[in-house]
Amino acid sequence: MAEQKVTGHHILLRHRDIPEIGEFEVYTAQGGFETFKKVVTTMEPEAIKQLVLDSGLRGRGGAGFPTGRKWMFVDDNNWPHYLVVNADESEPGTFKDREIMSKNPWQFLEGIMCSAFAIGANDIYIYLRGEFWQIAHELDRQIEKLHAESLLGEKLFGTDYALNIYTHLGAGAYICGEETALLNSIEGIMGQPRLRPPFPPAVGLYGKPTVVNNVETLANVALILEKGAAWYRSFGTAESAGTKVFSLSGRVKKPGNYELPLGTTYRQLIYEYGGGIMGDGKIKGIMSAGASSAVIVATDEVLDTPMAYESVPSLGADLGSASVIILDETVDMRWLINKTIDFFKHESCGKCTPCREGTFWMQKLTTRIASGDAGEADVELLHNVAKNMQGKCLCALGEFSTMAVASSIERFSEDFKV
Amino acid sequence: MSIYNPLPILKGLWTTIKSVVEKPVTLQYPEQKRVMPQRFKGRHHLRRYDNGLEKCIGCALCAAACPADAIFVEASENTDEVRYSPGERYASTYEINMMRCIYCGYCEDACPTEAIQLGHDYEMAYTEKRNSIYTREILLDPPPEGQESTPRKVEPGVFNRSIPVMKDAE
Amino acid sequence: MAEQVKENTVTLTIDGVEVAVPQGTLVVDAAKIAGQDIPVFCYHPKMEPVGMCRMCLVDIGYPVKDRNTGEAVLNEDGTPKIQFGRTLVTGCTQVVSEGMVVVGYSEKVQQARKDVLEFFLTSHPLDCPICDKGGECPLQNLTLAYGPGESRFNYDEKKKNLKHVPLGDLIFLDRERCIHCARCTRFQEEIVDDPVIGFYNRGRSLEITTWSEPGFDSYWSGNTTDICPVGALTTADFRFGARPWEMLEVASICRECPVGCNLTLNTRREAKSGGKMVVKRVMPRQNEQVNELWICDKGRFGYHYASADDRLTTPLIRKEGEFIPASWDEALSLAAEKMQAAGSRLVSVAGGQLSNEDYFHIGQLTEHLGGKAVLYSNMMGGDLTTKVGMGPGSNLADLGAGDAILVVASDLEEEAPLYWLRVKQAAERGATLIVANPRATKTDRYAAHIIRYEYGQEAAAILALSLDRIGDSDLADESFKQAAKAFAEAENAVVFFGSEGTGMAQSDALSKACANLLIATGHTGRPNNGLVGVWDKGNVQGGWDMGLQPSATLFDDLKAAKAAYVVGADLAGDNPAYKQALAQAEFVVVQELHHTATMELADVVLPAQSFMEREGTLTSGERRVQRYYPAVPPAGESKADFAITAEIAAMAGKELESVSAGLVFLGIVGKFKDYADLDYQALAEVSEQWPIIGREDLYYGGTGYANHQGLGVLLGTAAGRGEPVLIDGFDLPDTGVDGLLAVPVTRLYDQGNNLRYAAVMFPRIASSYVSLNPADAAGLGESVVVELNGFQVEVALKLDENVPQGIVVVPRSFGLPISAPTPVVVKN
Repeated sequence: MAEQKVTGHHILLRHRDIPEIGEFEVYTAQGGFETFKKVVTTMEPEAIKQLVLDSGLRGRGGAGFPTGRKWMFVDDNNWPHYLVVNADESEPGTFKDREIMSKNPWQFLEGIMCSAFAIGANDIYIYLRGEFWQIAHELDRQIEKLHAESLLGEKLFGTDYALNIYTHLGAGAYICGEETALLNSIEGIMGQPRLRPPFPPAVGLYGKPTVVNNVETLANVALILEKGAAWYRSFGTAESAGTKVFSLSGRVKKPGNYELPLGTTYRQLIYEYGGGIMGDGKIKGIMSAGASSAVIVATDEVLDTPMAYESVPSLGADLGSASVIILDETVDMRWLINKTIDFFKHESCGKCTPCREGTFWMQKLTTRIASGDAGEADVELLHNVAKNMQGKCLCALGEFSTMAVASSIERFSEDFKV
Repeated sequence: MSIYNPLPILKGLWTTIKSVVEKPVTLQYPEQKRVMPQRFKGRHHLRRYDNGLEKCIGCALCAAACPADAIFVEASENTDEVRYSPGERYASTYEINMMRCIYCGYCEDACPTEAIQLGHDYEMAYTEKRNSIYTREILLDPPPEGQESTPRKVEPGVFNRSIPVMKDAE
Repeated sequence: MAEQVKENTVTLTIDGVEVAVPQGTLVVDAAKIAGQDIPVFCYHPKMEPVGMCRMCLVDIGYPVKDRNTGEAVLNEDGTPKIQFGRTLVTGCTQVVSEGMVVVGYSEKVQQARKDVLEFFLTSHPLDCPICDKGGECPLQNLTLAYGPGESRFNYDEKKKNLKHVPLGDLIFLDRERCIHCARCTRFQEEIVDDPVIGFYNRGRSLEITTWSEPGFDSYWSGNTTDICPVGALTTADFRFGARPWEMLEVASICRECPVGCNLTLNTRREAKSGGKMVVKRVMPRQNEQVNELWICDKGRFGYHYASADDRLTTPLIRKEGEFIPASWDEALSLAAEKMQAAGSRLVSVAGGQLSNEDYFHIGQLTEHLGGKAVLYSNMMGGDLTTKVGMGPGSNLADLGAGDAILVVASDLEEEAPLYWLRVKQAAERGATLIVANPRATKTDRYAAHIIRYEYGQEAAAILALSLDRIGDSDLADESFKQAAKAFAEAENAVVFFGSEGTGMAQSDALSKACANLLIATGHTGRPNNGLVGVWDKGNVQGGWDMGLQPSATLFDDLKAAKAAYVVGADLAGDNPAYKQALAQAEFVVVQELHHTATMELADVVLPAQSFMEREGTLTSGERRVQRYYPAVPPAGESKADFAITAEIAAMAGKELESVSAGLVFLGIVGKFKDYADLDYQALAEVSEQWPIIGREDLYYGGTGYANHQGLGVLLGTAAGRGEPVLIDGFDLPDTGVDGLLAVPVTRLYDQGNNLRYAAVMFPRIASSYVSLNPADAAGLGESVVVELNGFQVEVALKLDENVPQGIVVVPRSFGLPISAPTPVVVKN
């Protein structure tokens, strides 16, 4: 994978700066777990939440919700609390959490441990997609090691605080990346989203207040607590602080993970770091957040837009998990939407009507359209079906399934001319 | 004394003579039978598919549509051992009280499988009231030539739809 | 008070109609109250909302408030400014708030409904003509009301699915029709706690499947077909039976157990039965004070006995050992003559499922002739429930936090399923449930306190629960003390006593102990307090109320009888000992529905009408008097039981009403204080119930029927009238047995006469068996011989860890002669 450096060092992909950081001894030699000790022995949970809020850290799973604020929503009148780490990473085109967990695991673990203390959780569940069984296996060994080092378990550092971490493997359902479906899956019931509200910080795992955060989000926490909010805010933009791992894929020369400050432009990512378009062709479109994002027409103006939570929406898309998929002139949009809908039809959980029936219907239509058997009426119908689904689904994933379809038909109409 | 006027009697005779040579309007029924117009609504038939299975699924929509309450339907379930119709159910009882029927054809309109149709048959005189009840045995068309009648035993799994897929004749 | 009401209500506008509803009401429910339609599929007023089907999408606006002052912002015309959300909201998950504006008629919402229905119909098959739900189908109705005229989905691309999936012996699933609303799975999980069906797979392949073996193993399965908003779930009993619009509806009351569930009988003329009017299906009828919207499968599918082929249609007289059909005059005069001649040696035995009118007449006639009238039941205490029962104004649905329920000697779900459900719901609302039973039952799941006593010690255990005696009892451990405290301190307390392991002697002591406990703790004479008998038959309470009582000496009475008058009781079939006794009686008159073992011993047989063919009243365990109505014409020459008794009485010189059940009831009203002021009109009165269900609201509450024919009346009690209630002293029954002790228990699906005719239920009824603790079963095979009361029966052996050691659990009505705890030998 391509390597690059951000202002001299990485925050999340630190293994690129310090190759052996995956070893416990190397990590502790870097001051690892000092922060956790400091947090447990000297800090108040409220202060940690405030510090994380001040740092401007936002959820990296896609929604971009301020992490500190989410933690503050945890209901302190209802105990116990749980921390659940969303390591489901099922979005097509997203592969950042895998690298963090497998290459820089101790920083990730320290991050979630500090976070658990902040929200008063004694148990952390790391929910990994089934295909990550090797990572789960490694994590289990690392958790054992932490127990052996007395960094996990009862009465940590002589305080009354107890902490345990459990890994939980999913069975490979995309929907289990949705936080409430993920909670259901941990509880052993069917992976289908729950009604929201109530949100997990009020009623979550086993009906108790629960924080669900993405791997990347929490991997930041230990360093933020070590170096302070102002340090973190020195990266990125005013509203999008810090760095972000951009998973670049598609028709670029050097696909891979790139940790860049938020606010970096698409042009920089694609041409400076990604090495430009394969075969030096012409860029056609950008999917800004994996398969669940709207497709953006890659004009010059778009390429110069900073990748930040506040600026991407103006392009009619979202930053999401920042899984940037590049489409060039060789890509037929009919083929593209057929591929994405195949995926969503396969992954729809079936709980709500528009998503269950809509993805099934759209899959039939896009198959016909992609094979060239369809008329203009079919394209119109497809667009209409996609639009009909929007705003009617139980969870966000139903909505996501329509994004590529609706935007492609609207923005790349020439591809759909019969 | 009046003069005898032959005109009226001749007029009358003319009509008589004309009638002698005119084509008669009456039919020599029952030796002769009238050919009915195509849309004539006579007594009902329960139709069969080309393979000889019954079209009627016993849904009783004809009975529901009947303004004279002349139809009584009772359904039962088909099995592969004893099969009457291709779907899940068939009419185990189908009766039309011809004395009540007003031949409006609503049953035909209501039928989702085109099973009941009003034919051209109008000879339905009976000497006993009981005979005015036409049962499914009377109403059912005979199976097409070369096809077995119903019920019949079929291969399991061939007929697994609740209503057979209908295709209009080309 | 008015202030409080105002505080707890919220006023909102739904499609221009202003309505005030309690706080916490969901928008769809508020719309129902306001008489506005918000269509739903997955929402059901009895279950938690899930927001899956998306049919109830509405536009919801909230009054805009000034951020600084908190004042409502007004439009130019002075009306409050309303801010609507960006997207539509599911009305079933949204709780009402003050000033909320709900819009359902806007083009946006109508379009959304059309879209959602179009989505549904892409997968739903077009087999309405043959679907059992067709004609009473929410999907059909809502498609007509809101759906698109035609589908844009390519018909050839429709997903084909299995259409004939028997989920169990009673329920069929059509996977193609299923719209995945999860009402059935949620009903099984949330309401009846039998999560035996669930979803499998995902997306468009999502399908209902059963997890249990045998499939859909639940006493409640039929209810899922009522709440299924499409024809995906149908019953094996009614499958293709008739179209809903072809059937008539007649109100009735179930008599399978003492709950008295309200039923609607759907009747139609049937060619298969030679053109007779028959009952095609039994449906629940709403009574929120009794069965809500539910009935158990025994009540739903067990009705076939009333229309069995072997029904008696003419009177029979035994001549030279053969039954010869006779005229009514002939048979009645013979019976009257013999009964009159018997005088004090006349024994009348009335079965537990007769109507109050029947009991009244049997009592009157027997009294007139100087004989002895016996209620055929193995439970005692029906006189105590008249003293300290649940009085008027009671409703189990009112019990909640701060209240206590004691269930003693009862496997409640087996004995009276709806009582179990109501008790479970009370426990979920916060009532303290105390379960006292020798072995674990499903009721334990909701118990705050579980008390285990040895079989035979039920009365002693209840005595030990009285706080003032707790010190004296050697039974009382810590669990007793906590339970006793909870019971004594409860604001309202109800005791359900059943017949687990009891005979008449044990039942007598138990019921008195229970009444004692209630009196000692002051839980009498007030609504929602008192004693409820979980009787072994449907109208035992009615029998007691009419002055009849069980007899401990029935065996000897019958043996010595000069004439026995057996009405609706199969003594010989239940117990071979009674068969011997009846054989010794000089003259036997049997009044029955069909051929029974008892009838074989009769000298005169009088054909009676089944409950479907006549009217009358029943009194439930809670002492609610309810009325049922004739649904089908009588079989042959059969007559109502009370009419037959009245005609015998007339011949024996006593005038009794022989035509109108209503007039008989007036006689009851005149004689019994508890029934004073009642009449058939009062029993037929209804009032508004929540949730609103009925024919127009199929999509909301299911296809169960609204109640237009009477909610029944709860009888007053002696304690309620302020009369002194004292319980006589009683002896604790002796329990000492060397070796194994056989104890009778009740199973819902037994081999009794009622279920003998319900062919659809046969696969669900176990073959004869006894249960033993594995520790007692050493050396025993799968099939054993049981020596009981001098009889030997070969039965299957079931091993059950829940059965205490030294005990053989013998189910009643399974061909084993048992009516009380008895020493037993089990061998290979």
